[in-house]
Amino acid sequence: MSVGRYARVAYEVARKDLLVEARSKRTINASLVFALLIVVVFSFVFGEQVGSRDVLARGALWIAVVFGGVVGMSHAVTREGHNGALDGLLLAPVDRSAVYFGKVASSTVFVATVGLLSTGFVVVFLDYSFPIGTLPTLLVVVFLAAVGFSSVGVLVSMLMLHSGVQESLLPVLLIPLVVPILLAGTELTQPALSAPMTSAWFRILVTYDGLMLVAGWMTFEYVVEG
Amino acid sequence: MSIVSVAGLSKRFGAHVGVSDVSFRLAAGERAVVVGANGAGKTTLIRMLASLSRPTSGEIEIGSDPLAGGAADVRSRIGVLTHETMLYEDLTARENLHLHARLHGVDESVCEELLETVGLADRGGERVAGFSHGMGKRVALARALVHDPDVLLLDEPYTGLDRASLDRVEAVLEDLDRTVLAATHDLERGVRLADRILFMNDGRLVEDSSADRFPSVESALDRYERLCRGEATPHGADADDGSETESGTGAESAS
Repeated sequence: MSVGRYARVAYEVARKDLLVEARSKRTINASLVFALLIVVVFSFVFGEQVGSRDVLARGALWIAVVFGGVVGMSHAVTREGHNGALDGLLLAPVDRSAVYFGKVASSTVFVATVGLLSTGFVVVFLDYSFPIGTLPTLLVVVFLAAVGFSSVGVLVSMLMLHSGVQESLLPVLLIPLVVPILLAGTELTQPALSAPMTSAWFRILVTYDGLMLVAGWMTFEYVVEG
Repeated sequence: MSIVSVAGLSKRFGAHVGVSDVSFRLAAGERAVVVGANGAGKTTLIRMLASLSRPTSGEIEIGSDPLAGGAADVRSRIGVLTHETMLYEDLTARENLHLHARLHGVDESVCEELLETVGLADRGGERVAGFSHGMGKRVALARALVHDPDVLLLDEPYTGLDRASLDRVEAVLEDLDRTVLAATHDLERGVRLADRILFMNDGRLVEDSSADRFPSVESALDRYERLCRGEATPHGADADDGSETESGTGAESAS
């Protein structure tokens, strides 16, 4: 099996996911509404009571990203289960980890979009402006968080696909697994943090991403085979 | 020469045995139909052959490649049609076929011919969400054929189809010059399609017979029911039970 063929299948899976989502907008709409509600509720409940706007903004942002991501992951996996569509992808004549990486890629785009738009919600509804100097760090951290979230999210959601209680079980299993992302995200987006890219939290986030991608690569075939 | 070889195949789901010690071979171009009641193990057998389910024990070879070691290569040689269409409803029929053509590394131009074959050339630009079950199944058949597989695995290909779709699917399958293994409840169409009939009951292959042994669908059904009740001895066993005379049997088993 050639590397080109493997990459082509991963690309086609990701492209298909993005095309289907661009057409239906079901997953992104559900996630964004959920993320927006979290930020708005934070605004109403804590707006006048939390002394530090910075703490409030970072908390709302990362909770919105994680919970919005879980909602999106749940919708995305439901789509794969419909009509047994996932089986069609699994019949492609390549190592099945290509399907995994394709789905991680499309999910990363989706979760990163939720993260960026949630940042906008925080700016608007919590009246908080991220310092200009922290924006490159914010973008990098949101991207790395999206990679980590997707690499574990795709694996867990596929595990849940035939469980019959996927919508209720997915958050219970996925949210504890992405706690390192939540912690790293909130720490790395502190405006006062100097040199965030060399901090221990940054290394933890990168290591988490790497470990989860390797775990997914090694186990995806066993997860999806009945 | 066998193109499909199954030896001692078993699948357990916890304490439940889905398929138990099934062995058979299919020659190139041969067509076999797997017959059995619900829960007999037909779908589990097809899914294992399609590499969608991992056997608990036993071996499968497609061509000369073992499925266990080279599943990716084997998948390029099999086409699979199950009772689910494996299609994305937000994509058009043509987009679905193009996706599967690209996944298999096949030129997309073959998709137009396949849409023509299944009678949907003029509907290829419509989303699958708007299709009837029968139309979806016809697109799924085109999907299964998109990479020109040597072996076609079918699980309930006729279920839920209206008359027009039934006739179209049956015509396409009859015209195919390749090895076919089909699991179906529709014994009448199954027998018309097949050279061989594999009777399954409780996960076991209880008989592997030539379709010529049965002059009518009723005789095949009768034979199956007697096998399930233990009133008939499987063909090829030392003793015979007399039912074969009744069924017009006597031909050599093709196994």
